[in-house]
Order: sequence, then structure tokens, then C-alpha cells
Amino acid sequence: MGGALDPRSAQGRAVINRFDPKRMALTLLPLAFLAVVVVAPLSRLLAEGWDHLSANILTDAYLRWRIVWSLIQAAVTCMLTLLLGLPLAWALARFDFAGRTLVLRLLMLPFVMPTLVAGLGVLAPAGPHGVLPINGQDTPWLLLYGNLFYNLPLVLRAGVDGFAAVPASRLAAARSLGATPWRAFWRVEWPAVRPWLASALCLVFLYCFSGFGLALLLGGQRYATVDVEIYSLVAYELNLGDAGALALAMMAITGAAALGYAWVEKRLAAPGRVEPIAPRRPATLAEWSWLAVALAMLIAFSGAPLLAVLGCALAAGPEAWAVLVEPDTLAALANSGRFSLIALALASVVGVAHALIASRSLWLRGAVFLPFVVSPVCVAFGLLLLYPSWTASLALLLSAYALFAYPFIAKAIAAALDALPASQPQAAQSLGATPWRAFWRVSWPWLLPAFRRGLAFAAATTVGEFAVTLFLSRPEWMTLTTLIYQRLGRPGAANLAEALVLSALLMLFALAAFVLIEWPTPLERARRALATRPPAATELPHA
Amino acid sequence: MFTQRLLPLALVATGLAPLAPLAHAAELRVLTHDSFELPKPLIAQFEKQSGVKLSIIKAGDAGAMVNKLILTKANPIADVAYGIDNSLVGKAAAAGVIEPYAPAGKAVQNLPNGVVSVDYGYVTLNIDKAWFAKHGKPLPTSLDALTTPVYKDLLVMPNPATSSPGLAFLSANVQSMGEDKAFAFWGKLRDNGVKVAKGWSEAYYTDFSRNGGSRPIVVSYATSPAAEVFYSKTKLTESPTANLNLPGGVFQQVEGAALIKGGGERVAARQFIDYLRSVPVQQALQTTMWMYPVNPAAAIDPVFRHADKPAGVKPADSQAIAARGQQWVARWTRVVLKGGQ
Repeated sequence: MGGALDPRSAQGRAVINRFDPKRMALTLLPLAFLAVVVVAPLSRLLAEGWDHLSANILTDAYLRWRIVWSLIQAAVTCMLTLLLGLPLAWALARFDFAGRTLVLRLLMLPFVMPTLVAGLGVLAPAGPHGVLPINGQDTPWLLLYGNLFYNLPLVLRAGVDGFAAVPASRLAAARSLGATPWRAFWRVEWPAVRPWLASALCLVFLYCFSGFGLALLLGGQRYATVDVEIYSLVAYELNLGDAGALALAMMAITGAAALGYAWVEKRLAAPGRVEPIAPRRPATLAEWSWLAVALAMLIAFSGAPLLAVLGCALAAGPEAWAVLVEPDTLAALANSGRFSLIALALASVVGVAHALIASRSLWLRGAVFLPFVVSPVCVAFGLLLLYPSWTASLALLLSAYALFAYPFIAKAIAAALDALPASQPQAAQSLGATPWRAFWRVSWPWLLPAFRRGLAFAAATTVGEFAVTLFLSRPEWMTLTTLIYQRLGRPGAANLAEALVLSALLMLFALAAFVLIEWPTPLERARRALATRPPAATELPHA
Repeated sequence: MFTQRLLPLALVATGLAPLAPLAHAAELRVLTHDSFELPKPLIAQFEKQSGVKLSIIKAGDAGAMVNKLILTKANPIADVAYGIDNSLVGKAAAAGVIEPYAPAGKAVQNLPNGVVSVDYGYVTLNIDKAWFAKHGKPLPTSLDALTTPVYKDLLVMPNPATSSPGLAFLSANVQSMGEDKAFAFWGKLRDNGVKVAKGWSEAYYTDFSRNGGSRPIVVSYATSPAAEVFYSKTKLTESPTANLNLPGGVFQQVEGAALIKGGGERVAARQFIDYLRSVPVQQALQTTMWMYPVNPAAAIDPVFRHADKPAGVKPADSQAIAARGQQWVARWTRVVLKGGQ
């Protein structure tokens, strides 16, 4: 194959990227954003503690155990989500049923839930006062459950999209050549879904490792990850030397994970025409049972806590529901909408730009995960040191939202670019289209589903406001999430009830966002209608 | 400065320039902890009287807020701060972030180092009354009783390393028992199954038996039982929780406001501190921030009768906390979380 036509070659890739006058800007934009919002603040914080920086803290046996524990629970969660997620994802990808699209949107809701509310949701069925006759509080089971609640959806969604992108003709060919479904799975489907799973698992690892999640809340401080240690060193002890050393050690591990992912993804990248496989209705009893079990598991692991929160909110009564029309709530809802929109716009620009340069090197690809590799508290305090006069500005807060949201967009588009056959934009250009026009008319429609998928996850992070409490805020910037935390910062049954009602509102708001973001375009609807039509025409050759 | 130019440039580049803060003629920057809350009309009234716009900036809990002040000493991020309490005042003063101010008027509690007291309260144990009635257990009468098998697995507290009430409770123990005895007590408490939560909200809402958890004793505030009545869903005549004021288990907290050294708007900043001490604010803060007023002219809210105010508690020793607080937390972590001595 000629170099220029081989999509894996540097030249092949460059076709997508060749916007010559704009190319510099394209490269600089994401790098400048990362430099200003992550690298510079972090360096500033490290510089502040540089004189006291010592690796002594790493000799502390307790801290070493914390690091090992962080690794163990992250690895176990990765394994579990993979084992559980794979069969579930297959069922959701292959079988059609009423409400399937809604289930796929609902899948993202755990991501939005503030940790404390999710904790309440888990304890409602399985806590000491739970409906179920089990009390999981303070047991490792509840920890794993908490981790699955947040992370299963990530793997599941990636798996569903991955299985849908398996080339239909290759699968059909394998089957018609006599391959058993099992063999067809290993030879055709598994290789196609691997890159999708790799990227989801990398995120799961980063999330669990840095202690974002329910485990800590449900297990108490015995199960604290190193991030809690860094937080207390920075925010309470102002011991920037030890915090810096610890943060660097953690970054070495998470950075290695991000680079490992970049390497895997680059290696597995396989461009090719994708004829999406449309899900079909289960035909046999076995298939129906599989689907039923998959949905039941999904409800048990990710749905139950949400349903519990919803149930408590509905049972809270009209006095608590009155919170929905309070001026504070309406203002918070408006802020949540406004901030999410702006942050998503920013995240989209940076995310697409980063995706377009990601294929150039392993480092650039790995850098997509930089926002999850660094310690959020270190970045927050670094920003404070570096830009003191800007710290209480909305621009900085929204940049922080965008920072934690954009990797999802960049990652999704980078993966879609890997699968984009270079011949398409090349053909357009050889027919006289400018590179920009070729991108806009040929590549972008191809990338659009990936963009919208990434955008949905990005929206979930902005609405859920990952690490929001670390940044300076103002009362007039109150969002739904901060309003919920405010209610849970005071004693009293009414506060709890209102927090739950507001959480239900947050879920509705997020669901509306997910549905809107992934609303099928006319093209997608047409494709789907075509794909689900009885395959009369394709059977002709056999006849 | 390079960095000062870099950010606006980057923001322009990313299309966010319209959101950058515009220069206001007169704006008073008030740094507070996350629990700060006053009725909006009261805030509007201050803005009208003083002619400045209040820019309230929430900076995490009190401990994190003071550290943010210290870190940005060279370029103060606020003109005035509210929420510096007696456990933090020594640290803030030693770091030189406070410009002393002494307003006229008497207060029932005061703070050193030119920080102006605004309100006070107590960190103490709260119990779930229904749980104790149901299980027929007597209430513990001393902290040491909590280390006996009768009270195994019944206590939850927020981590002193990540929560101010947690640190307050630990400080009260240490100041009453002395360091060695206090940490021996914590060793026994660890063996008796004390649970450590990340913050107050986690402890109160997921571990306290009144809400999602199984533990009927929680480290909270003396006003929490009153707040339970105030924020109850049905009109309660009696609080479902009560204070358990044990010797060595009550911390008196005095919160104050201070001028920030190097900050601007001095006149308005002083006015703001005076305003915090004025009767309307002192009355309002009782049911928004659940603290007692320091101004003797402010009437105590009737709902506070549900809070059993601890008597005879000495205010905490700010100097000792400033000097030794960090070591206490480190040792507490070693004893309770690492299982050492």
C-alpha cells in the first residue's frame, strides 16, 4: 500500500490535519489551554513548596499502603466493570426492546449524582434502615458496589458503542463461513470493541485511583485514597513540600496509565468502513433471558440508588416539593444550564482541537487525560497562587468545568479519527475541496456521533461538577449541585427532603440534556430505519 | 506581570473574554467559609447604606479559607474575611494576614489578634433520642465511657484532618485531658469502633442513625437539635436529637471577621465588620448559620430553647491550637487511622 494512502502512515493522518494556515492555531489552542489552566498552576504550587520538597513522605509505611490500596481498588474495579460490563454491553448493543434509547440515556445519570446523594441512594436500600434486609454499611461489599455504581455506566456505554461499530459484513461473513457465535465474537467483535473498552477502563482507573467516588464515603476514612491525603496536606496543613512530593508520585502512576492507554489505543486503531449493526429483537428464549438478566443487573447496580433517591423525593411530600419553585432553585437551575452551555462550548472547541492533534504523538494522545492525571486540589490552589486577581472570576470557574469535561470529547473524536479511512477526505480534496471544506463536509459527519457521545459525557461532568468544591465560588453562582450540598450542610429532616427533591430535579435536568445532545439526526434515523428493515435484498445472492 | 497577561490572553483565545470581571467603581471583596448565609434583604441594605457592592467569595470551610488567605498574602484575594475562628486565629495572625481592628461596642465573646468576634457556638456530641429509647441504653456520662463495650460501634465523627468540627472536638479532648491521656483515649476509642467520616455532612447524613446510618452518637454542633426542630417536616414540639455535653467533649468556637492586610476599601471593610455585629444581622445569623450572637443586645431566637447550651465551657486556647494543632492531627491520624500510638 502506498504511504499516502495508508491511513496509519504519517502522511495519511496529516491529510486530516492539513489546515496549513490554521494548523498552528489548532495545535496551540489545546496546549495553551492546558498550559494556562493546569501546567502553570501546578508548577507554581510545586515551586512554592520546592524548598521543602522531599521524598521522605514516601517512606511512610502508612502512605505507601494508601498508594497500594488505591492501586488495588482501582484495578479490582476495572476488572469487575469489565467482567460485568461486557456481557451487559453486548446485550444492550445487539438486542432491541421498547425504551432502549431511553435506557442508553439513563445510563449516564450516575455520573451526575453528587457523591453524598449517591451515598444516600445506596444506603436507602442496603443501609441500616434499608428496605432490603441487608446492611452493607462498613463492609467491603458496599465499597465495590459504590465503585460499580459510578463506573459500570462508563464501560457499558463504551461497550455498547463499540459493539455497534463492529463491521456488519465481516461478522456476517464469519458466521456464514461457519464460525460459531463464540468464535465470531473472539475473532471479529472482540478486536473491534477493544479500543473502546481500553479508553473506558483507563478512565475508570483514573477515577478510582484518585478516589473520586462513593467508596470513601461508604467505607469511612479507613478506605481513603491518597488524594484525601494530598487534600489535607494542601488545604489544612499548607504543607506544600510533602503535598508536592506526593502529588508528583501519584502523577507518575496516573501519567503512566494515561500513556499506557494512549499506546494501546494507537496500536489497536483500525480504520475501516463501519456499517453499524442495528440491534434486533431477541428471537429465542435464551436471548430474551439474556436481555432480562442484563437489564436486571443494570438496575441492581446503577439504577437502584437513583430509584431510591427518586422514591424518597416523591415520598417527601408537597412541603419539600415547594423547594422546586423557590427563587433560589430557579436561579440555580438557570445557572446550571448557563454554565453547562458555556463550559461545553469551550470544552468542544478545545476537545475537537486536541483530538485533531492527538494522532501526532503518543504524548499528545496521553495528554488528553491530563486533567484527570493531576491532583485537582493542587491545581485549584495553584490557580489561586498564580492568578490571585482572577480566582473569584466566573471565567476561571468555567474554565475549570471545561477542563474536566473536554477529555471526553477529545477522546471520543480521537478514537473516531482512528477509524476514519483517510481515503475519504483525500478523495474530496482530489476533487478540489479545500482541506477545511473536506473536513467539514466529509470527515465531520463521520465524527459527529462520536462528538455527541463525548459531549454527553462532558455534559454529565459539568452538571455533576466534578471537584467543584475546590474552587472559589460566589453565592450568586449557586448551581443545582451546590444547592444540594448547601442543604446537606445543615441538620434537619426538611433539608434532607429538599436535597433529595433537588437531586431528582438534577436527574431530570441531566436526562433532558442527554436526550437533546444525542437526539437522532434525520440521517441517523434514516440509517436506522434502513438497517432494521427485513433484510430481503441482502439475501438475494443466497437465493 | 507575565502571568497576569497570560490568562486574559488565553481567555480571549478561548472566547471567554466577555465573562471576565469588569472593574466596579467600589466593590468590597468578602472572603467567607461555605456556611456563610444571611438574608438577601439584609445584604442589600448594607450595600445601600455603604454605597459599595458586596462581592462574597466562598472559599471552602474555615480551615481551607484561612490557608487560601495565607497563600495569597502577597496579592490579597479579599478586603475582609469572615469565619476565622479561635482555632484558626493564631495561625492567621502568625502568618501576618490580619490588619487589627477594634470596633466600639461590647461583645460577650472576644477574639485575640485584632480579629472581631461575630458569633459563637459549641461543637459537641449529638445523640439520636429514638435510638437510645428503643435500645434502652443509658447515655454515656463521660468520654471514657465511650471506650467501653456498651458503646461499641456507636460513635461517628468527621476527620479532624478534613473537617473543622472534627478538629474542634479533638482540640477539646486534648485541652481537657492533656496530650498523652487524650491519645490513649483515642487509641481505646479506635479499638471500640469509632467511625471516621470525611466531613460533617457525610457523618450526619450517612452514618448518624437519625438519617442513613447506624450510629446514634455523632460529633456535631450544640445548636443542631434546635435546627432539627426549625427544619422539621412536621411541626415538632421536641427535637429528635439532643446534645450530650460531656466534660472534655465540648469545644467553644468563636467566629470572627477581620480586615485583610493589603486589602482595599478600608472604610467599607470596617463598616462591614460593624454591620456583622449590628442587631439585625446578629438576630438573623442565629437561624441561618446556627450560631449564638456576641452582641448582648440581640435577642436569642425562641427555637434555641431546643439547644441545650453547654455551661461552664472555657473558650479554647487559640495559642496552643496554633502551635500544636498540626501535631495533634498528625498524631490522631497515626493513632486512629494508622492504628499506631
